[in-house]
This record gives sequence, structure tokens and C-alpha cells, in this order.
Amino acid sequence: MEKTFRLDIIASDHPFYNGECEMIVFLGLDGEFGVLPNHEPMVTCLNAGEIRFKVDGEWKYAATSTGIVEIMPNFVVILADTVEKPEEIDIKRAIEAKERAEERLRQKQSIKEYYHTQAALNRAMSRLKVTKKHS
Amino acid sequence: MANMKEIHSRMKSIQDIMKITNAMYLISSSKMKKARKNLLATRPYFDKLKSTIYDILLRAPHIHQIYFNKREEIKYEDRKRGYIVITADKGLAGAYNHNVIKLAEEEMAKGVKNKLFLIGQVGRQYFLRKNYVIDNEFLYTAQNPTMHSAREITETIIDLYAKRELDDVYVIYTKMITSMKVEAEILQILPLERKKFERRKAGYSHASFYPSPSEVMEHLVPNFMKGVIYSVLVEAYSSEQQSRMVAMEAATTSAKDMLKSLTLMYNRARQSAITQEITEIVSGANSLKS
Repeated sequence: MEKTFRLDIIASDHPFYNGECEMIVFLGLDGEFGVLPNHEPMVTCLNAGEIRFKVDGEWKYAATSTGIVEIMPNFVVILADTVEKPEEIDIKRAIEAKERAEERLRQKQSIKEYYHTQAALNRAMSRLKVTKKHS
Repeated sequence: MANMKEIHSRMKSIQDIMKITNAMYLISSSKMKKARKNLLATRPYFDKLKSTIYDILLRAPHIHQIYFNKREEIKYEDRKRGYIVITADKGLAGAYNHNVIKLAEEEMAKGVKNKLFLIGQVGRQYFLRKNYVIDNEFLYTAQNPTMHSAREITETIIDLYAKRELDDVYVIYTKMITSMKVEAEILQILPLERKKFERRKAGYSHASFYPSPSEVMEHLVPNFMKGVIYSVLVEAYSSEQQSRMVAMEAATTSAKDMLKSLTLMYNRARQSAITQEITEIVSGANSLKS
């Protein structure tokens, strides 16, 4: 049995990773989700947060936005709006975005605006979380 | 000679126009470089997104979900069709805007209940003049496409679709086929179709959907649409700059050709004027002598 599977992580503005991988853990709709080689075919969603994947025994980390995950026995495809390495994240910008979103949450908003703000806050928080952990 | 003056002023005006077209050529070529970079960065995402969705639809089990509901009970003529038409914000881009508008009008001839969602000023002005039904609050620019506007567009469209104000949704945009060739294209984005027959043919089994097929689709479809709209905007913007660049290059070249032939005419006129003057002087001197 093979020990690795092919992993494709593609962000809307650049292909992030393409290669063999031993294991991947991402944030699904209701918590963390780990995938090993020869997983059953599955389709699920990616939540904004941290993903980590193991290449040659070494863990790599990234912050993602929401997206789509397709899992097959021999490959995994992750499609997301943005995928960033911890060192690529602009901490100042993320903090500003977080503060902006928190400020907006205090105002009265329509439901649609509320969801937008919540999503923005979520993105900022997940970025900050990843940078805090790995720098 | 009046002719000389006329030619001269004509040449002057052509030179002025050439300055403008040449400047526009330079601007659009630098803008295109940026747009091309964006396009090349987004292309893998767009291609993978399309193939992944195709793959997912192949393996999707039967679900009752609004994005798959084809609403077959509604007759062909009565269907409410929504068209997202992407044109440029400005003209002078060769046949770019014209091709998109032409394709849109051909498509709209299919039904009566059409609603237009226009991106770009040229298309907006055109369809406003022709009194089509236009969503007036749908205001987005064709320049510098962002994920943010793609997200908002998706929400608007899905909202209208869920409220049954739209039955079919299409995008009409310009695709970049090669770096020299662009073509207007139509793409249906809603409703989605399950590929039941292709799946049986390929011998695939259903994939499992976690937590549940309908919940996955609830998140997946807006995400997919957002990705498609973003990519389409990037593609259209890049095509626009490409078309403008080609058009302005052609304009500059033909201005140069015109200047060349006008210079020739001008020199001839000048030469004949000089010759005539000399003839007059010589004949005047001759008449004095005798």
C-alpha cells in the first residue's frame, strides 16, 4: 500500500502546493478533519482556518479561506480563495481587518452585512492564529 | 495654394490622433501585462475548479436541492433567464464590446422574460437605450476584478435564484483563446446538472458527502460560483486590454500609412506650386526683356 497521496492545493491567485504528501489535516464544517492515503472518495467543505500537511515527515502549515475539498484514494484537491504561508501573512493588516470587523459587529446591520462581517472576522482570526503559532 | 493648406491641416489632425492612439496603445499594453499576470495565476484555479466540479457532479447522489432543480414544470418560453453580461467600461477596443453585445442579443431572442445584469459601462449604456430589463442596483466595474465583488455578485444571483425570480443564469464574457485571439462565450452557471449518465458510462460509484450531500452543496455551490465569476471577470478584463491594444496598434499603423501618402501629396502640391511660381517669374521676366 502506498504511503503517500498526491496533494493539490490551489488558491484563486496562485497554485500553492502540488506534490506527494503523507497526511493532511484541515478544518471542515464541524471540526478538524484528517486524511491519510487510500481514503474513501469524499467531497466536503473547507472552513477558514489552518491546514497542515506532512511532506517527508515534516509538517507544513498554511492559513486558508473557505473552499472545496475533493478526496480520492490516491489524491486530494483543495480549492480555496486564498492560501497563505505563515510568513506571507501581513500581521498588521490582519489585526486591522479584525478590529474593523469587530467594530462593525457592534453596529446595527442587516443579516447579509452581519454574515459578511462575521466571515471577514473569521478570516482575520484564522490568519492571526496561524502566524502566532509559527513565528 | 489652398490645397496645400488643406493637406497640411489634415496631416496635423492625423498626427494628433496618432499621438492619442499611440498613448492608448502603450497604456493598454502595460495594463494588459498586469491583467495577463493575474490571468495566468488564476487559470490553474479556474481549470481545476471546473474539472473538480465536473468530477463531483459525476459522483453526486440524487438530491433534492435548489441548485439542481431544473424547474422543468416551467415552459421553455416562460423561463426567466438571467444574463450576466461583461463588457468594457470604455470603447475603442475594436470589436470587443460589439461581439459580447451581439451574442447577448442573439441569446436573449430565445425568450421573453430576460433580465440583464451588466458589468461595464458600454453594455449598460447600450442596453439602457434599447429598453431592456436591467437590474439597476447591479453596479460593478469591469476593471480590476476582485474576489470581494465576485462574492457579492454570487450572493445577489443566488438570492434571486432562490426566490425564483430567475430560472436559468448565464454569463456572457470574452474568453482569451490564445494570446492573440479572443472570443465571446456563453456559460450556464445555474442550475447545475448532475451527470448521471456519464457516471454510469465511466463506471464510477457515488462519493460520500460529509456531513451530508445537501449541506456540502449548500457551501460548495456558492464557492464554485464565486470562483467562476472571479475567473470570468479576470479573463474578460484581460481580453479587453488585449483587444484595445490590438485595435490601437492597428489605428496607429493606419495613421502612419495615411501620413505617408499625405506627405507625398503635400510634397507634390508644394513642388507644383514652386514650378508654377518659377514659370510665372520666368515668363514675367521674358515679357520685360522683349
